[in-house]
Parts: sequence; structure tokens; C-alpha cells
Amino acid sequence: MSEKPFISIEGIAKRFGAQVVFEDVHFGVRQGEFVALIGHSGCGKTTILNVLAGLDQPDSGAVLVGNDAISGPSLDRAVIFQSHALLPWLSAIGNISFAVRSRWPKWDGEAVRSHCQRYIDLVGLTGAETKRPAQLSGGMKQRVGIARALAIHPKMLLMDEPFSALDALTRGVLQDEVLRLCAATHQTVFMITHDVDEAILLADRIVLMTNGPYAKVAEIVVNTLPRERSRHDVHKHPHYYRIRNHIVDFLVERSRRFDEDRPRDYDPMHPPEVRPGLGEPPPPAPLRAVT
Amino acid sequence: MASAFRDPFNPDHRLSSGCSCGEHASQADHDQAAALGGTDDLAARLAETAIVKAVFGADPARRAFLRTVGTSTALAALSQFFPLAAAREAMAQAPGPLEKKDLKIGFIPITCATPIIMAHPMGFYSKNGLNAEVVRTAGWAVIRDKTLNKEYDAAHMLSPMPLAITMGAGSNPIPYTMPAVENINGQAITLAVKHKDKNDPKQWKGFKFAVPFDYSMHNYLLRYYLAEAGLDPDTDVQIRAVPPPEMVANLRADNIDGFLAPDPVNQRAVYDGVGFIHILSKAIWDGHPCCAFAASREFVTTMPNTYQALLKSIIEATAFATKAENRKQIAEVIAGQNYLNQPVTVVEQVLTGTYADGLGNVKRDANRIDFDPFPYQSMAIWILTQMKRWGQIKGDVNYKQVAEQVFLATDATKLMREAGLTPPAMSSKKHVIMGKEFDPAKPDEYIASFRIKRS
Amino acid sequence: MRSLALRSALLSAAIFLLFIGIWQVSSMSGGGGSQVVDDEYARLVGAAAATGQKTPFPSPSEVGAKLWQHLSDPFYVRGTNDMGIGIQLAYSIARVAGGYLLAAAFAIPVGFLIGMSPLLYGALNPYIQILRPISPLAWMPLALYTIKDSSISSIFVIFICSVWPMLINTAFGVASVRREWTNVARTLEVGPLRTAFRVILPAAAPTIMTGMRISIGIAWLVIVAAEMLVGGTGIGYFVWNEWNNLSLSSILVAILSIGLVGMALDQGLARLTRLVTYQE
Ligand SMILES: Nc1ncnc2c1ncn2[C@@H]1O[C@H](COP(=O)(O)OP(=O)(O)OP(=O)(O)O)[C@@H](O)[C@H]1O
Ligand SMILES: [Mg+2]
Repeated sequence: MSEKPFISIEGIAKRFGAQVVFEDVHFGVRQGEFVALIGHSGCGKTTILNVLAGLDQPDSGAVLVGNDAISGPSLDRAVIFQSHALLPWLSAIGNISFAVRSRWPKWDGEAVRSHCQRYIDLVGLTGAETKRPAQLSGGMKQRVGIARALAIHPKMLLMDEPFSALDALTRGVLQDEVLRLCAATHQTVFMITHDVDEAILLADRIVLMTNGPYAKVAEIVVNTLPRERSRHDVHKHPHYYRIRNHIVDFLVERSRRFDEDRPRDYDPMHPPEVRPGLGEPPPPAPLRAVT
Repeated sequence: MASAFRDPFNPDHRLSSGCSCGEHASQADHDQAAALGGTDDLAARLAETAIVKAVFGADPARRAFLRTVGTSTALAALSQFFPLAAAREAMAQAPGPLEKKDLKIGFIPITCATPIIMAHPMGFYSKNGLNAEVVRTAGWAVIRDKTLNKEYDAAHMLSPMPLAITMGAGSNPIPYTMPAVENINGQAITLAVKHKDKNDPKQWKGFKFAVPFDYSMHNYLLRYYLAEAGLDPDTDVQIRAVPPPEMVANLRADNIDGFLAPDPVNQRAVYDGVGFIHILSKAIWDGHPCCAFAASREFVTTMPNTYQALLKSIIEATAFATKAENRKQIAEVIAGQNYLNQPVTVVEQVLTGTYADGLGNVKRDANRIDFDPFPYQSMAIWILTQMKRWGQIKGDVNYKQVAEQVFLATDATKLMREAGLTPPAMSSKKHVIMGKEFDPAKPDEYIASFRIKRS
Repeated sequence: MRSLALRSALLSAAIFLLFIGIWQVSSMSGGGGSQVVDDEYARLVGAAAATGQKTPFPSPSEVGAKLWQHLSDPFYVRGTNDMGIGIQLAYSIARVAGGYLLAAAFAIPVGFLIGMSPLLYGALNPYIQILRPISPLAWMPLALYTIKDSSISSIFVIFICSVWPMLINTAFGVASVRREWTNVARTLEVGPLRTAFRVILPAAAPTIMTGMRISIGIAWLVIVAAEMLVGGTGIGYFVWNEWNNLSLSSILVAILSIGLVGMALDQGLARLTRLVTYQE
């Protein structure tokens, strides 16, 4: 894990009309790192992901890959969409090979096919190759989306709430899958999520955003749990609840009032990195629904 | 007497008689030629005639020779020392090359078009070297547009149409010509059967009438007839243009009370028990023109030989149709699916003039329809006066000039003579319409003399 | 399921027979009076007129006989104005195909551009909205006047009537392709042409096909009217011609064949539509 980020967000802001969704957003993702972004609905997470993907332009600031500002979408940054975004007229393997052919236009049919098959097998869809998206379950569709993203060997994976539409069981299975794949490939990942447990399970660092409008990065939580994790026993680690309570407390209380009682030394260019796993857990959050 | 191509080997014919090519013979011969007739035959005869003439010089010598040896022997004998075949070929091109042989001629399926139609199955076109196709067309506006578009080289039109086109009434002015009238008379006023007791037009107030086209003799004759009975055709009744095929259907459906229509529409209404014939149009004006053979001035000037050949075919067909004894045969030929598409008896009743009137009587009037190609310019002037009378054209009209431009009496005169018909000496004459005389020299006075008019 | 299909087929047949039966009976009851005129007159008029009646609507048996007559020799050509019903249908189908394919060749690419570009959409929309509701037959005189050829004019009229549904549906289908699908293509750096053919076209295809299906229906309706107007050849002209001859039996035969061909055209396109339809 090198210190210089693979991709760095430099003070981007986005407005829709007069409404400023977020501003002064700074953070970076390092090579091989898994960064999760958590924030309330509407604070601008998808917009940030779209900017990273190159699908959207910030109104100010820039996103740098290496030393160059990105100017548009790239095969180097694969996106797994919130709503899977499979092309419904293509079969599962058709969707994947559409991506593979875009990546390697000169490959012959057989090379494409065997490459696609490898990724179908990888995400556990063997046997469902020729099915159309409408014939697949939600979990299967999302697996096709993951296979499509991984099959083009991107330098970075951008995931927008990839599992939020799935039932808890399927979500768990897929989280394991992603955990396994990332451990095997050291894939650089940026993921948006609403699910605190998911973030702690998967991410190395968790970016916390305040509520919009004028949303910004409040702080970055470093996940001090060891890298080898499993869904079944991660919560047994002493850091787990400290981190979890810290994030829940942020979401429930501080994300709303951040502007009023922000630390005096707060500098949006260098949002504070905190390691709640190492310190004393903050007082438990009041019983209020997480929205 | 219509044209026929004389057989030079027929000893009973004089070769130097009145026609230009010296080929014309009796009507009977003509009919035969017409029925068989092809260009090749004609050219061949023409060539043979020239040779026979050259060999024998005077007619008496030829006659004597042929009587003695017989026709076929003579031909065989001559062909031994004369290259008849070569001469035939040379003569085939003689009358001046046709600029165009494949022609399309549009017609509306009514008996007025008889000469134009029958000239096809009876070989009058092919006899004059033309490969003409006669195309049934859906309506007057379409026939006008297709002729203006040059899809048709010439067409069957209502005789007022070339005048209207030339004057620019209803479309842009385009110089048009009408080298021949096709038929005279042949129309009728038909009323719905429920009106069979209303024989006096004064009882017709509030009636709805149909005519085939605004610029038609039918419209002018009906208006004239109504106005003479004291009805204002614009306010006391309704007159609308309805395509002939729709007339019987509309009469049956009670949408109209009657129509002044071309045949076979009138007779068809009787045939189907829907209407009765009130009067024939000849009772209004005996000898009125109706439909015409028309072509653009451009066609006439750029293809003079083709035009001559075409006009000749029409005039010859018209001459054939004039003969009462030919009418039955014509009816059979033109009633078929390819032409009028009507029951033969309906067409036959129209052409022979022995017809059921729709009230249970069989009437006989041999002149119910007649065929006379001569385009009297006085007719054109009468039509123009009626256009003016009913407000279709406005302002001053140079009647004589327009009439001369459109109604090509000179061409008709020449070709009628060639066809063995007697053209009239004058291209204008006085007409009598419902007892009232029309003097073509005084059109404005004529219009002024009417009580009901729009101008 | 099977028995339902069978039962509806039986019911269909029963309705048909009932209809034909009522028709036959009612057309028989009308005629059959005694002759009210003398024989000479009777020879000159139709059978109904001789009994003091109007020629009645044809009975199903007469129509059946006509149908058999037309179907037993559908492709004869006995002259410019006398051709079999099959030939006439072929002329109409050829005209419709010509105008329709031209319209598709124009409307689909142009609709594509309009759908892709909100600027073009805004600029051209007023024209489309004004031109679209014009009855295609209203174009006929204009077409005849400017094109100066009646068969090309009828093809033009088919073109003009079938172009709008295809144009509008293509533009709409293309404009409403889901953003995420085009985003997928963008993140995969797919070029504009490949995006057009591999993403937008298949995504919009069902909408485009719906437009094409509407168009073929209109085109088939219009060709009959156009040919009645212009004449010459075609099934519309056949109807006009038989109307001219007041032959209602032939007209009914023509109506039947117009219906059948129209249904076949529609079903053909419905089948194509099914091929490109996808479930989301
Ligand atoms: N095209 C747009 N036009 C106008 N406003 C927009 C547009 N796209 C997004 N917004 C606004 O920007 C804000 C951020 O939207 P965004 O989709 O990024 O939120 P999000 O954080 O991803 O929310 P969620 O968690 O519900 O997905 C919202 O208030 C939304 O209303
Ligand atoms: Mg979102």
C-alpha cells in the first residue's frame, strides 16, 4: 500500500441549479486499497462516483489519476451500477462479452468466449450463461454485473451500493465473494454503501460524508481490523463495535450538525483520519432510527 | 364515308379518287381493313399501289388487265420484275416518320369516349402506325393532371376542359388544344324513380343534382335547362360535381334527386331500377358537343407526325361510329372488362338508341348519341359564354381568339377530308338551344339576353 | 388451454355461419316479384328492374361465386385495364413496399439523430407536429403536380403517411433509452457507431417496431384510397373499377382480400416485433 493515491479527488464541487450538493471534497484511494463511502441519502455519493467514473463533470475541482485530470470514462475504471444495468436483450455471457470485446477488440470469438466463461465461473453462474437478465434473480444479475466489471481487468472498481437491492442472505454471499476476489487480486475498489457492517467488513478506509446540501467529507475512518476477515467472526474482534458505534454515531448525530460543532482545526483539504478501533468507544448512540 | 385503304388489285376502284394517298376505297373495304388492319398491311398496299400505278398509268388499263388475269396472278406477275418487297419497305417510312409510336391515351369509362376506346380493339391506332394503349382513368381531375404530367400523350376530356385549362380556370393556364370532338348528344337527365310524376322542371325546387365536373357541358346544359324553367341553378337547387361511377350509388342512396350525366350512367340507373330518363340531352340542344379528344399544344407542335396519325385514327374511328349499322358491334367490343366494364345491353341501348326509359317504355331514337369530330369554334364560344354566365371566368374574354387557339378546326377539316368525311365549310355556325338561337358573332349580347345569370 | 382455443374457434365459425345465414335469408326475401313490364322492356333492364325493384345487395352465394371466379384465375392480364385481382394486389403491395421502405430508410436514421440530439428534437418537433396530422391523401394533388408521375406520387403518399409514426417512435425510443445503458457503453469506451448499433438500436427496437407496425397499417389503408383516386392499377383501382360497374360482389371480394393482406402485413411485423422485444 503505497502512500501516493492511485486516484485523488481534489476539491470537487457539484451544483444542480442553485443547489450546491457538495463542495470541497478531498480524498484519495491508494493502489490496492478498498475505500467505502458512507453518507445519508441525497448527500451526493452517486454523483461523486459518477465523477470518478468520468460519466459526470464536477463544477469545480478535479479528479487526478497519476498526475492527469480524468476527462471521461475509461476502461481502467469499471463501474458496478446500483441497478446492475445489464443490457436486457443480451444473455448473461452476451453482456460480459460486450465488455470484453470493447476491451480487446482484436480478440477472436473463441478467446472472448473462453475469457467470459472464466468470469462466469468465477462469480458462480456456470449453467446460466445463455439466460437473459429477466430470467435471472437479483443476486444473479448483480453477479453478472460484477463479472462484467472484473472481466475487463480494470485498474479500479467503482461500486454504487452494489448489494442494497438484495435480500440479506444473498448480500452476505456476495460480500464473501467480493472479499475473496479482492484478497486474491488486490483490486483497487471504491464502494458506496449505506450498510455500516458491509463497510467494516470490506473496506480499508471508510469516508464519512455530512448531509447535503453543502455536503463535505467529515472524516475518514481507518479500519484497524486485520485484513483477513470473515463475515462470521468479524464482529467478535474488539475493534469492531468501536468502529461501528463511531460510524453509527456519526450518521445519527454528527452528520446533521457537522457545520455547527465542527472541530476548530477542521480542514476540508485534509479531513481528519480517525482510528476509533484503537481508542475508547464513544458513548452508545441514542435510540434513534438510522435514516 | 370513312377512309379505307384501297386494294389496288380490286378492278372496281379508281386509284386517283379524292384522297391524298390514292388508297381509299369503299366503306366496306375500310371496315375490313380496320378489323384486320395493321401498319404493315397498309404500307404494303401503298407500295403495291404505287407500282401498279407506275406500270399501268391510267386506271382503265389497270382494270382491264386485272379483269383478264385475276388479282393474284397480277401480283405474282408483277413481283417477278418488280422488287415489291423492297418497295413495300421503302413506302412504310414514306408518310413522314412518327416521332413516337408508343402512346398512352387516357379515357373515362363512358360512352362519350367510344371513338378513343374502339380505335384500340378495332385497330384504328395500329392501322396508323401507332402502338397506343388506352388507359381507363378514375376522374376528370386525374385525367387532366396525368395529361399535364405527360403520363398521357393525349386524353379524353370534357370539351370545356381544354378551354378551362387554357384559360387557367381551376389550374395554371397551359396552352391546350382540342383537335376533335368525339361525340354529340348522348347525355341525359335522370331522376330518381320516386320523382316519376314530376315531369315539369318547375317542380324541382330544392332538388340536389349531380354533374360529372364543374367544367362540363353537363353542368352548362343542366343550368341552362333549369334556368329556362325559371329555376336559379345556384339558389333554387344544388348542383355538385360527382364522378360518374358514384352517381348511381348516390341516386340509390337518396343523396341526390337526379343528374345530368354521360352514358352509360343514365342507362345503368334504369338497368338497376334506380332512376328513369327524364329527357335526353339532345332535347336541350340537338347536336351539342360533349366530350373531346385533347392534347397539349406542346404535343401538337413537337410531334406533328404522331399527332396527325393519332388524330387520323380518332377521326376514322369516329367516322366508323357514325354509321348506325356499326353500333351494335362497337357496343360489344367496348362494353368488355378492359374498356367500359358494363353489361353489353346497357352500352348497346345507349349506342343504338333503342332503350328502356325506366318508366316501362321502350323508346327509339337513333340519334341518342352521335359522333361528329368537327370542333366548331362556335361551340367553344358558346361554352365560354356559359363559363362567363355562371361566373367561372371573369373579365373580358376574347372569345374568338381562345376558340381558335383551342378548337383546331383546320386540322380536323383536313383529316376529315382524308377520312372521306365531309367537313363543314365554315368553322362556326349558329346553334339553336331550346329554341333560342345562339349567334357566335355576338357572345356578349347573348349573355345579356338571359334573365338568370351571375355576371 | 387447448379446449379454450377449440371452443373459440367453434364459436367463431358459428358466428360466421349465423351471419352468412341471416344475410342469405334476408337477401332472398327481397327479390322474386313478378314481371311488371313487357318482355321487350324486360330484356333491356336488370332482373330486379323488370319486377319494378332496385337491384338488391348481393347474396352470400353470389359473393361466393365471385370470390371463386376471382380466385380461380387471379393473375390473368387481358389488357391495360383488365387484370386479375392477384396482379392488382401485387401492384398495391409493391407500391406500399416501395413507399414504406423508403420511409423506413429515411425515418429511422433521421429519427435516430433527432432522438440523440435534444437540439434537433426541439428544432424539428414543430414541423413534425404540423405535418403529421395532415391526411396523406391531401398530399396527392401536390404530389401529382410536382412529381408529375402518378405511380411515383402514390409511392410518395405512402412514404409521407408512413414516415411520421416511424420517425416519432424512433426519436422517442432513442431519446428514452435508459441512461444506465448508455453509461455502460461509455464506461466501456464504446465508440459512437458501436453504441448506436449495439446499445441504442436494440434498446429502441421495440418502440421503433411499434412505429413500423402502425405505419404499415396506415400505408395499407392509404394505398387503397390513393389508388381509387389515381387509378391505373392496384386493388384500390380494382374497387373503383368494380364500383364503376356497380358490382358489389366484386367489391366485397376486394374488401375481403384487402383485409386479409392487411392482416398478413400486420402479423408479419408483429412477428418481427416479437423478435426484438426484450423483457427488462
Ligand atoms: N440530474 C440532476 N439534476 C438535479 N439534481 C440532481 C441530479 N442528480 C442528482 N441530483 C441531486 O443531487 C443530490 C445528490 O444526488 P445523488 O444521487 O448523488 O445522491 P446519493 O447520495 O447517491 O443518494 P442515494 O444514497 O439515495 O443514492 C440529490 O439531492 C439529488 O436530488
Ligand atoms: Mg446513489
